Amino acid sequence: MVNYLIVLFAVTLIYFASAERLSTYVRLVALQGLLLCGIAVFELKEVNLANLLFIVAETLLFKTLLLPYLLSRIIRKSGVTKVHRQAVPGFYLLLFSIAGLLISVILAVILVNPFINSIYLAIALFTLLTGLLLIVTHKLIISHLIGFLVVENAVFLFSLAIGNEMPMLINIGILLDIFVGVLILGFFGLRLKPHTNELTMLKD
Amino acid sequence: MMAGFILIAVAAFFFPGVILRTKSIASGRKGPGIFQPWKDIAVLFRKGSVFSDTTGLIFRIAPSVTLATVTVAMLLLPFAEQKAVLSFEGDFILFAYLLALGKFFTIIAALDTGSSFEGMGASREALFSMLVEPAFFILIATFAMFTGYTSFSVIFNHFFITGNDYVLIYSIIGAYLLVQIAMIENSRLPVDDPKTHLELTMIHEVMILDYSGFDKALIHMGTYLKFAIYGSLIYNLVVPAGWNVILQTGLFFAVQVLFAVVIGFTESFRARNKMNKNPKFILTLSSIALIAFMVILILTEKLA
Repeated sequence: MVNYLIVLFAVTLIYFASAERLSTYVRLVALQGLLLCGIAVFELKEVNLANLLFIVAETLLFKTLLLPYLLSRIIRKSGVTKVHRQAVPGFYLLLFSIAGLLISVILAVILVNPFINSIYLAIALFTLLTGLLLIVTHKLIISHLIGFLVVENAVFLFSLAIGNEMPMLINIGILLDIFVGVLILGFFGLRLKPHTNELTMLKD
Repeated sequence: MMAGFILIAVAAFFFPGVILRTKSIASGRKGPGIFQPWKDIAVLFRKGSVFSDTTGLIFRIAPSVTLATVTVAMLLLPFAEQKAVLSFEGDFILFAYLLALGKFFTIIAALDTGSSFEGMGASREALFSMLVEPAFFILIATFAMFTGYTSFSVIFNHFFITGNDYVLIYSIIGAYLLVQIAMIENSRLPVDDPKTHLELTMIHEVMILDYSGFDKALIHMGTYLKFAIYGSLIYNLVVPAGWNVILQTGLFFAVQVLFAVVIGFTESFRARNKMNKNPKFILTLSSIALIAFMVILILTEKLA
């Protein structure tokens, strides 16, 4: 079951590379949160109940509901609906993404060890690379934020891979999530002036 | 052995009609009957062909070559537990390149007319076919890796009995990708629109503008057969080969009808892609196929 969810997670990453609307990005972020919740429930069999409940609550409430809500609010306020400022055309972004997948699989095979599931490792590395790609190839600041959220999901996935051995690592990952949530809320959610694009684009 | 061949030929009879019926029902029209496309073909067969002075031999033989390649490709597909008429290791490569050969002849025939519109259509068709090819090969390579065999007949026979828990993932991904590949290969929405009336926006239609009568009928037949071929591939992926033959035959036609209905609904409710978005759309399919391939590589521990 976990492998089904991980494959679906990888497919959402491909759609990140080919999507063009910010609202699609937000939906994908929400879907990734939901998938991470599913993966956590099926994977973490040895952690105690309170810890598992904390993780499920964080992925469901924070990643699936709160963050997408905040992001869509920012998008509504700024009036920017399309990712129309990319540094490279979408076709090449997709090619880079495929290259990223190949690299991550090769790395996963090199780094393979008996404690870590290599599919986790490959997909987490792929997630990391996709997040970085989103950050370096887009010009809108909101895409950079979404790229950062994807990188964070990668960290979460990494920590889940060894969650049964080191449950504390997941909690640290969650704290990072919440930190970013506050960052979004503080910087962009509250201080953004409606109908100005000043916060949505980085200066060259 | 001929069962697969005959069933595909039979399915091709109602396939285009079902698409037309679905589209007419979805748009609230009465619409033509299921066999209308074949009645049109019968009319075309009774007509002669007109050839432009600028065209040469290539233009005249291309429709026959296209139909011939599609027919030979049909021989490579198995049905249920029976082997295909032609079956050998690596036959899926022949299958892909037979279809590509047919397409190649359509493309050079379009160039042969000397029309700039047809050249443009040929260029687009060549690009899209080139991009969709990796998706097909990666997908079939995934199945080959999954089952450990390299022939269509054996792959599909062993697909559901490998004992691998993840057969459902591959069945779903395979069916999804094959539907999309079939839509692109047969020039349907969202990549191409068979109903468009402007040469500038056409892809496949503009390439066959100069054909008339008998030759046009051959081209249409080839297209219908190609649909049924992809329907048969999808069927082989979703129905285990070991089931009762009568049940299988029923399911075969059910899958074909469902496939046609899906195409009809897609064409009714979906807008066509912008031309410059098509390469990205097609490459997405290859990426999804690649994910499936990578996962199977890791699961079967072939890389380690």
